[in-house]
Amino acid sequence: MQYDSARLADFSVLNTRGKKAGFDQPFFTLVLILLGFGVVMVLSASFPRAYYDPGHVTGGSATYYFIRQLIFALLGVGAMLLCAALPMGFYRRYALPFMAFTLVLLALVPLIGVRANGSRRWLGVGSLTVQPSELAKLAVILLFSRMIQQRRGQMRSFRRGILPFSLILALIVGLLVLEPHFSASIIILAVGAAMLFMGGVPLGWFLAAIGSAAAAIGVLLVFFPYASSRIMIWRDPFSSPSDEGYQIVQSLYTIGSGGLGGVGLGGSRQKYLYLPEEHNDFIFSVLCEELGFLGAALVLLLFSLLILRGFQIALHQRDCFSFLVTAGLTTLLALQVFLNVAVVTNLLPCTGISLPFFSYGGTALILQLAQMGIILSASRDVLEG
Amino acid sequence: MHDGKGGPGIGMLRRTLFLMAVCGIVSFAVLLVRLYHLQITEHDMYESLAVGQQLREAASSPERGTIYDRNELPLAISASVDNVYLSPVEIEMYGEDRELIARKLADILDLDQAELYEKSGRTGSWYVTAERKVEQEKAQEVRAFISDYGIHGVKLERDTKRYYPNGSLACHLLGFVGTDNSGLEGIEARYDDFLTGSSGKSLRETNAYGSDLLWGGYAAYIPGGEGCDLVTTIDATIQYYVEKHLSQAVEDYDILNGAGAIAMDVNTGAILAMASMDRYDPNRFLAVSPEVQARIDAAQSAEEKTELLRAAQTRQWRNKALSDTYEPGSTFKIITLSMALDCGAVRLTDGFYCPGHVSVIGRSSPIRCWKDGGHGSQTLTQAVQHSCNAAFVNIGTRVGAERFYEYCDAFGFLELSDDPDVNLTAQTGIDLAGESGSIWWSRNTFCSEKNLSQLAAASFGQTFTITPLQLITAVSACVNGGRLMRPYVVSEIRSGDGEILLRRESEQVRQVISEETSKTVRSILEQVVGDPTEGTGRNAAVAGYRIGGKTGTSEKVSLEAATGQKEYIVSFIGFAPADDPQIALLVFLDTPSNSTGIYISGGQMAAPVVGAMMADILPYLGVRPSLSGEEASRQDTAMPQLVGLSLEEAGQRLREAGLRYRSIGEGQTVTAQLPAALWQIARGTETILYLGEEISTEKESVPNLAGMRYNEARDTLSYYGLFLHTLTTLTDEQNAHVSTQSIRPGTAVSHGTVIEVVLVSDDESMLGKY
Repeated sequence: MQYDSARLADFSVLNTRGKKAGFDQPFFTLVLILLGFGVVMVLSASFPRAYYDPGHVTGGSATYYFIRQLIFALLGVGAMLLCAALPMGFYRRYALPFMAFTLVLLALVPLIGVRANGSRRWLGVGSLTVQPSELAKLAVILLFSRMIQQRRGQMRSFRRGILPFSLILALIVGLLVLEPHFSASIIILAVGAAMLFMGGVPLGWFLAAIGSAAAAIGVLLVFFPYASSRIMIWRDPFSSPSDEGYQIVQSLYTIGSGGLGGVGLGGSRQKYLYLPEEHNDFIFSVLCEELGFLGAALVLLLFSLLILRGFQIALHQRDCFSFLVTAGLTTLLALQVFLNVAVVTNLLPCTGISLPFFSYGGTALILQLAQMGIILSASRDVLEG
Repeated sequence: MHDGKGGPGIGMLRRTLFLMAVCGIVSFAVLLVRLYHLQITEHDMYESLAVGQQLREAASSPERGTIYDRNELPLAISASVDNVYLSPVEIEMYGEDRELIARKLADILDLDQAELYEKSGRTGSWYVTAERKVEQEKAQEVRAFISDYGIHGVKLERDTKRYYPNGSLACHLLGFVGTDNSGLEGIEARYDDFLTGSSGKSLRETNAYGSDLLWGGYAAYIPGGEGCDLVTTIDATIQYYVEKHLSQAVEDYDILNGAGAIAMDVNTGAILAMASMDRYDPNRFLAVSPEVQARIDAAQSAEEKTELLRAAQTRQWRNKALSDTYEPGSTFKIITLSMALDCGAVRLTDGFYCPGHVSVIGRSSPIRCWKDGGHGSQTLTQAVQHSCNAAFVNIGTRVGAERFYEYCDAFGFLELSDDPDVNLTAQTGIDLAGESGSIWWSRNTFCSEKNLSQLAAASFGQTFTITPLQLITAVSACVNGGRLMRPYVVSEIRSGDGEILLRRESEQVRQVISEETSKTVRSILEQVVGDPTEGTGRNAAVAGYRIGGKTGTSEKVSLEAATGQKEYIVSFIGFAPADDPQIALLVFLDTPSNSTGIYISGGQMAAPVVGAMMADILPYLGVRPSLSGEEASRQDTAMPQLVGLSLEEAGQRLREAGLRYRSIGEGQTVTAQLPAALWQIARGTETILYLGEEISTEKESVPNLAGMRYNEARDTLSYYGLFLHTLTTLTDEQNAHVSTQSIRPGTAVSHGTVIEVVLVSDDESMLGKY
């Protein structure tokens, strides 16, 4: 065992004497602020749907989603502290087995996954479900960090530096396409690319990748009418405000209604069943309506600070693996935030990406907080060094 | 940490710094720009779009204005009611007992329970109507049910409902209002814009399914403008009399195709009453009479039933006085007479000879007068009294086709056109929905010098069609001093708070004939009714009143040509007082059946109806009868109050009233009397005084009085303990017999019932189609 059991024992004093635990306090604080903010927003955004219960889920209990999110948030904080307590060596050691485990789960999803909206993305029984694609994001970061660390100086080589990484990405994306899960594929490809970028792969490859991606998208648009109609709606959602464009049009109504100062916390009108997914992927729209441009900018500023702090922690790492993991996880966080907000503001075509710490969803939240815990774990090495 | 040696290289750090800048700063800058654009730049647009979908606008129908008669008696009023509806989504959401809801609502609202149960199960809907326009009492019961059981899925919303407090009275004038609160016929349709007002709006914020927000939802009520009130020229009392006698006539003469009547203020053109048979109740305008419903129920297929119902509804809603056109027949002779006198074509002193027929240029066979053998030599007045066709062909020819047409134009029967080949038409322009127009031959056809047959027939009212309203409007002009007035119904429009928005003065269209001519026409027409030996309108006479008028019997010529069937419209137009006319009355009966045994003609059927109406209306209008002593001694008399008096005293009172008595019982004090006090009964009737005995409660069968003299009928009835009254003439009772009676022979009635009869002249020479 590479990790220090004495350090693990320190876990018991983390809560009472946080400072002594030695992880990065600003980062930890920012996470807690965003999490608290997120849980409150879930309460505000979800209660009309929970109350009216058009989908026969909540039994009319207005706090249904809130209570669950609160429980998951507490569990998630626990997971974060646990992950913070584990040494980085633990993650390096288990990077490969974790990837193998993830791939098995991914392979199972198309076979025994829970079907929803024409896709199988979930594994599990009843309300205890997990998206293996979420695990895959973490697995890619951990494994790539370890592989890049092992292959330092060889990253410019195609056979050693590019091919194995590409094969792994292709395998994962291949499995995701079977679900299908488009947004997760994009994120994993982007995170993988970011890892390779930091790892030192020549820029030409990225240009080539971007070029071929553009070509692939072109082919997709020509041969898959579904995809091209998505683009049409993205360009002009008001062309079909009552069917395909409904969701994005409602989101724009919601965000636009907020104005500078918003209608006040809890005061959203659009959450009254006009806006779909209002406590989920589109929770940021409700936030924009209730707290206005100022509130939205504040939340984005908090995210920005968190991300900058994450990179700062990475840059202070003396260990290459820790550095890459921290930077990779921070990049993943940034990607999720950017894509979510870009989608709800119709900057990018509509696709399902949740907003970290805000969107309702138990396992995703726990996993998100666990990832923050890994960054905190890395931060401890810096501070203690 | 076995291979953890060495931190990230400088290249790695540089690239990471770049990534950091992109992820932490650039991307957020992009997002902030986008948010600024949406939330600040385009805020107003998105906000108004969002508000547009969040606000539900419910138009609450405003109180529709009241329609008054000319004495401010309300004829149509509005009241608040509630629509009761179900919200199946909420029923399901709260798990409410559909069975209970259906049973309770069915109970309160008298609805079909199974249907309500089905409606309550329409999941996905927030609004399913249970019952519209529920009155306050029932709505209160529904509210009580909702609060008792804490029901969420049953709701009420405010609406208004139209009430016609007098039932079917003036139904065709008033029209009715559909479930959407818009006027569909009559005044309701014509003045819909004024009556409706502007609807109020209630705005409320709702969720996407239309129900209220959980709290704090914005709600506002923008009150609408109340509808205007209308004051009409209708006189509910006159309307009542007109309808009473018209419906009695439809029954008495077994009228097959409906009937109509108009009462007009001769001097202003104001419509005092207008009736059409069959009537309907505008409170339930879709319902047809029980007999018609029975016929519909007997129909085989559903389509047939629907068709029959629709036809019956269309028929009962039709205002025949306004929408029917007919050949007026001899009533039109008033017009021919007026124009001939006015243009000097004839003079009062002119003589006419009627050999029974008259030849007409362009006609192969001569036109026959209604009287075989002819009327012989007659004065102008006699020609009108006799309703002599031959004389009127002569008079019409003297006027000449061109002049005849110009007068018809002036009287409002047609509008002359520059094109001499088009058929001509006209309307009065009354402020009611549904007025039809007349149809006349083109000028070229009518005015052909080679063929005078059109002119000849038109002189006695045939070969063109007009509406009853056009006729009474023109005849009013003939007798009111020559002024053609525009008929109208609404005299005043008032805003909801009583401000007068419009007051209509009577509108004179033009002077058609001279004052002098009009006076002559009045006196001639008075002799049609008032002359007991020569007047063909004598059955319209009312003792003590000066009534002028003219009969009409028009055969449906085109129907006979098509089917060989002879059908008639019999009519009478009268006015009174003849020396200073106030009211004109037109009654037309469409197709009396042959079954009654009464001779089919205006003189025998329509004239007594007008007489009866005049007998009721003129006293109401305050016109005092002037009776000679001898006439007065023949009039019906009022039964005095005798109960409690001694027999002797009672006998004295009866003698003074011109009545006799027989007594039942042995006492000395009157304990009961037949008939009751104040009933008008025939003079000389033997009344019944009870001296201690009870009045028998047994029913008596009404005897058939047809053909009897008045005294004979009186004595027949009093034998059975029944009594006689007539509204019409007793000017010539020795030569009159009972034509119809208000209660049919064989009907079981209580003792003391007073039966009204119509008397007509015995003179058989009067029987004719004129």
